[in-house]
Amino acid sequence: MSNLRLLLILLVLSAFMSPPFILRTHASSQVVAAPAVSRAEEVLASAYEAVLEAEGAGANVSALVARLSEAGELLAQAQVSYRLEDFDGAARFADLCGEIGEEVKVEAHGLRDQAVLEAGQRFRWTMIGSIVGVVAILCLSLLGWRAFKRRYYGRLLEMRPEVGSDES
Amino acid sequence: MNLEDYRTVFAVTSLALVLVAAFPTLSLVVPFPRSAERFSELWVLGPNHMAEDYPFNVRVGEEYRVFVGVGNHMGSSAYYTVYVKLRNQTQPLPNATESMPSPLLPLYELRAFVLDGESWEAPLAFEFLEVSRFENSCLVHRVMINDVVFSVDSPSTRDSENNGFYYQLFFELWLYNVTSQSFRFHNRFVGIWLNVTAS
Repeated sequence: MSNLRLLLILLVLSAFMSPPFILRTHASSQVVAAPAVSRAEEVLASAYEAVLEAEGAGANVSALVARLSEAGELLAQAQVSYRLEDFDGAARFADLCGEIGEEVKVEAHGLRDQAVLEAGQRFRWTMIGSIVGVVAILCLSLLGWRAFKRRYYGRLLEMRPEVGSDES
Repeated sequence: MNLEDYRTVFAVTSLALVLVAAFPTLSLVVPFPRSAERFSELWVLGPNHMAEDYPFNVRVGEEYRVFVGVGNHMGSSAYYTVYVKLRNQTQPLPNATESMPSPLLPLYELRAFVLDGESWEAPLAFEFLEVSRFENSCLVHRVMINDVVFSVDSPSTRDSENNGFYYQLFFELWLYNVTSQSFRFHNRFVGIWLNVTAS
């Protein structure tokens, strides 16, 4: 009976060790890893685009770029692992990269919205300042010109030649 | 000066002051063209972070270290990939004239996001793990880059002129293009020649 059980165990073990089983496991790992890596690529690219938008809006993105680099290292490791057929490693690195990429994307959108808001306010205040400045300059110029003209004519009148007596 | 002349002076001065007052708003509305040229830099430094003491005569089983760097002057943050490739003297390099990368498959890759005006650098350790030597040829079976082992099986014949078996470890710079949503060869590459000597 015990021999029979031993034989059964050996049979099961050999079935698990057989090349078709290993190949299938290998293939299933590849099936998981390939989309994980390409998803991580997409997430990281869209996170980068979000960071570019935030940067274009005038936000300080240095912290986000540092985090993107961290995610980029993981993606590079995922790609290298995939090429070396370490599919489990590739999927693990890709998932980690994807998580960071998603976080960066959300933060970048927040930063972009904040930067757009701040830029709008800055633009409004700058425009008000410019308008006030221009009006003040025009008014002062006009007043200055009038005052100058009055003084100019006053001087001109003072310079009018007097009629002298012609007695000899 | 008569009154007309004074009026002209007043008008010109007022106009100049108006432009000065309006400049902050104009600078936000009118896009001023940037004159700076946009480009990226790619470099390799030796183990001491200097452009000297590069590994050249490499022994099998010994680890060597270099630093790969990228400088961004593209006007905004950039997303780069640096592909690490190994070639013998007969295998093709990238074609700079046609902006074509080398058709060789990359062994290792590095990715970096770099702010405009900033640079990035990473260490790269490599080691020739398994090499077969014959009289006039050499076959590199395996190399290790940053603790990852790669099978290369790259043959090389003896360079009688320079007396050695030469390989080039080179780096290609690729830049992510937002419009096409893919990486493109950025027409920058740099490499170091290695003479694989006996262990």
